[in-house]
Amino acid sequence: MVNGINLALQFLDSFAFIVLAAAGLAIIFGIMGVINLAHGEFILVGAYATTLSATKLGLPLAAAMLVGTLVTAAFGVVVERFVISGAVPNWIGQRTVGRDFVEPLYDRLADSMVATFGLSLIMVQGARVVFGNSIDTVGTPFGNIAYGAFSYSTYRIVLSGVSIALLVGVYYIFTRTEYGMTARATIQDEETARALGVDTERIYMATFAIGSGLAGLTGALFAPTLSMQPTLGDQFLVEAFVAVVVGGPSVVLGTALSGGVLGAIQAVFTNLYGTFFGRIALLAAAMVALRFLPDGITGFIETVQSRRQEGE
Amino acid sequence: MATDAPPDGGQSLAARVRARFEGPNTIGNSNGFWVGFLVAVAALVAFPLVGNAEQFSLFLVLSLLGLSLSVVWGYTGVLSFGQVVFFGLGGYTFAVVSINVSTPGGITAAVLAGVVGGGIGAAVLGYFMFYGGVRDVYVTIITLVATMVLHTFMAQTAGSEWTIGEAALGGFNGMPDIPLLKLGVGAASFQFMYNAIPVWVPGFGTVELDPFYYLALVLLVGTYLGLRALVNSDYGRAMVAVREDEDRTRMFGYNVKRIKLVVFILGGALAGLSGVLYAARNVFIDPTVFTLLFATLPVIWVSVGGRKSLLGAIIATIAIEYIRVTLGGELALVMLGALLLGTILFLPNGIVPWVHKQIRQNRPAPADAEGPETPDPTEASES
Amino acid sequence: MNRSSVSRRQFLGASGAAVVAGLAGCSGGQGQSGATTDTASSADVVKIGVLEDQSGNFALVGAPKHKASMLAIEEINANGGIDGKQIETYATDPQSDNQRYQELTREMINENDVDVLWAGYSSATREAIRPTIDRNEQLYFYTTQYEGGVCDKYTFAVGPTARQQLGIVLPYLREEFGPKIYTIAADYNFGQLSADWVKVLADENDAEVVGEEFIPLSESSFGSVINNIQDADPDFVMSMLVGANHTAFYKQKASAGLDVPIGTSTAMAQGYEHRRLDPPAMANIYAGVNYMEEVPTESNTGDGGFVDRYYEKYPDAPYLNEEAETNYFSTYMYKKAVEQAGTLEQPEVIEALESGIELGTERAPEAPEGETIKLDGATHHVDHHMWVMKADDQHNVEAVKNEQIPEQFLSETVGCNLPENPETTQYTPVDYFEEAE
Repeated sequence: MVNGINLALQFLDSFAFIVLAAAGLAIIFGIMGVINLAHGEFILVGAYATTLSATKLGLPLAAAMLVGTLVTAAFGVVVERFVISGAVPNWIGQRTVGRDFVEPLYDRLADSMVATFGLSLIMVQGARVVFGNSIDTVGTPFGNIAYGAFSYSTYRIVLSGVSIALLVGVYYIFTRTEYGMTARATIQDEETARALGVDTERIYMATFAIGSGLAGLTGALFAPTLSMQPTLGDQFLVEAFVAVVVGGPSVVLGTALSGGVLGAIQAVFTNLYGTFFGRIALLAAAMVALRFLPDGITGFIETVQSRRQEGE
Repeated sequence: MATDAPPDGGQSLAARVRARFEGPNTIGNSNGFWVGFLVAVAALVAFPLVGNAEQFSLFLVLSLLGLSLSVVWGYTGVLSFGQVVFFGLGGYTFAVVSINVSTPGGITAAVLAGVVGGGIGAAVLGYFMFYGGVRDVYVTIITLVATMVLHTFMAQTAGSEWTIGEAALGGFNGMPDIPLLKLGVGAASFQFMYNAIPVWVPGFGTVELDPFYYLALVLLVGTYLGLRALVNSDYGRAMVAVREDEDRTRMFGYNVKRIKLVVFILGGALAGLSGVLYAARNVFIDPTVFTLLFATLPVIWVSVGGRKSLLGAIIATIAIEYIRVTLGGELALVMLGALLLGTILFLPNGIVPWVHKQIRQNRPAPADAEGPETPDPTEASES
Repeated sequence: MNRSSVSRRQFLGASGAAVVAGLAGCSGGQGQSGATTDTASSADVVKIGVLEDQSGNFALVGAPKHKASMLAIEEINANGGIDGKQIETYATDPQSDNQRYQELTREMINENDVDVLWAGYSSATREAIRPTIDRNEQLYFYTTQYEGGVCDKYTFAVGPTARQQLGIVLPYLREEFGPKIYTIAADYNFGQLSADWVKVLADENDAEVVGEEFIPLSESSFGSVINNIQDADPDFVMSMLVGANHTAFYKQKASAGLDVPIGTSTAMAQGYEHRRLDPPAMANIYAGVNYMEEVPTESNTGDGGFVDRYYEKYPDAPYLNEEAETNYFSTYMYKKAVEQAGTLEQPEVIEALESGIELGTERAPEAPEGETIKLDGATHHVDHHMWVMKADDQHNVEAVKNEQIPEQFLSETVGCNLPENPETTQYTPVDYFEEAE
């Protein structure tokens, strides 16, 4: 029953889903040490903003997606200022009682989890109160391609192309731009970076905006293929976390590799044994990977590289 | 730190017993604290006279789950997202065994089996992780993924092939036929669920009291005192050392992996006990206990209460679950979210340590023996 | 009734101020602590508890249930109440959270002392609260369409069962399109049992299940499922997908160009996918239902009918779904039973319900789904008027078939007879049909 094209398309589909689900989370986690449990709700913002600008404002889909991405990035900046860095409450604190109210959530993994979990409760229920239990959806563009007895949605194939382009784009940002350089310097050694004149606070803000924007883009891209309700972010969370951790410390390469490995495993098992086993295999693979590569795939690669250098 | 010498010399038996429960690893080492503690316990004993004890027993049961995370994470630095795995294993094991052997002796054995089940689950997962070199946030994610696996798996066990003896696992719809909780053997047994006991209370007349509430209360108070003794013992100090700096603790010759594994198993057994009581109280268990929401709750209780405080875990569990159950209306979830967000931002070390600090600051001359303040929370080691 | 709570209330009335004042803040959970002994007050009003989701995962499908219950209660109160007594409503949002359901059910029974309870959307919720319901012998209406088989002295499962829903749509599709069926279903109790019913009904209708696949509730990518269906090339698909994630299937199969006819017991009537999704996602889909907003009966879509009354009370409501109608008519069934029993005492009301309440015999407004709706006293289920509703590529919905279908599994196959033999069991088709194995 294994059909090569089916398997390939299934792999591309899983790969795109995992990479897109994980990208924003990976950047925020990798650079800021913040676990964003509201990641799914940032995707929700992107999906809703896209859908509403297409259905209510009548924008063409591509423009609506751009709006969705930008709205989420802007929302990310607001969250960063108010919650993650605490800049706004602290500004108020300095003006009123002369001291800071809050400590930034950078590198406080558990605290950032509780804070963003609270945020996600607010956002899901807020979306429900404002927009109701669902909103109308936009149709999926591009039709389908047919091969033999089978056919596949063209748009889902386009998504895998987009996910590769996105990885390349993020890689470019982090290796070729000034922001990327300073951001990586900040991960390596925040104190030194600051001593050398890097405005680390701005780096964090920009990072959170980029991470949020990527989550928004994910929501925008999947909006035409999903049904729109306030809990839609949940379906991305598991894949996102698994991919980030299996990927390891190197954000872009890690996401790409874990998307590739986990996507392949899920595609093969889904294709052979059905959706249930595909899902269990994905989760089991993640546990085994972490057991034997405790620092993720890229951590493992780094270890091998440094060992080889020592050997020479 | 290791020499505990209360100013009254530690001569009397009471003082020596008390010394076991005190130390730098717990807050509340003063006379005032213990008086307050006794008042609180007395208030909880009297609570069914005025309040909804049937509901409150849920909070007591869940407090045990909160404590299990507090000891694993707050005291040993292992942030487990999977306490609900052992909670669920405990509940399901209890259900399966008690349905198959529904005599009082069988049900009592089922309680023990549930606790052991939680412990074994933790032993397997803990050995897999700690002896495989998994550390820090990766432990968190592996335990999280373990809950996902169990949820996906349990949800599809509706078919008749998923039957253990006479007990059908029941898939998503759970196991409704759990017998009522009885402890003891044969005639020397007592039924704790749905067995209100009429008691004459001076000033109140005859009132019917729910024995399950008192069972949960006794277990909770006992567990709390037991864990206090543990974390203030030499072993407890080793646990805290692992939390503060794993590498340095290893240099000093401690077997860090074993300490982590032992505490993880203890936490698993405790979560298992909580799960047993949960299943017994609801006469029901289903895969909801393995959902992401339920897995997140213990982390929230312990963070809000103060993760380095056992008392904080209990108080926060009771408070948050009370709010979750009673808050109604369209904005209930928004308010809960805002509460969590606000607490963690403004009181990052938790509510109970903050209250404790306020009390100490407002009492400039502490006459009694208070241990040195817990070292200022250095976040370095715990994440 | 739970004795401990009654005694506590008596004691509260007698003792007044509490001694343990420090705990007063913790006892607010009872809410009703001001209530005095209930025997005097409960005679004047009928206390109805309604626990339906307005937030969380099931809000989309639960909110219309809540609204329809409120509509029925408002209408009954406006027309003189039940047997001259006004209805007092206790309604809290369980937030799709089974733990909250369990606590609120206890509160409804022990603190609010309700005479009757409507609660819950999913089967899992029903099973989570049924131990409490049965223990307290509480009269309970479960109104969602479901897998069937609950034979319970205190539960009235008045929604249509899988056998009724699939039993109207599957034979129709067999006639229209051919014998080869492919089943896709959500991977939990409801889906698995419904898939068993597809096999039983396929056997009875000379059809054949050529493939079946179960999909975890968390899954929202359906590429391989669509491929598998194309590979099997069935005459039609039976879909028992459930929940928000699974809704994506209909969008994805449309964009993949899969145009095989699909029969369903779960789509459209509950989550109104034909209104929410962009056409042609739901094209060529046939739903077996007892009710949809579009069901063309006089008492439903006629002037001043059920649809008109609902949107008059809730002008912004998005849809009037299958379960909403079930909540609505079962409230009237309860009214009729109380008036027949002449008391609110629950054993007597249950007895009255078991005598076989029938609605709509005089073309009354209470039975929007058809001419009559009859409660089967032996099984506590309803002989529904069932419809096959078809959506076209513009998502217009039309009725293509309708007939009265009795509950058959419990009454004919199992032999459930609750007045004679009170029990609290759920039966499954596997135990009775070889084909379901």
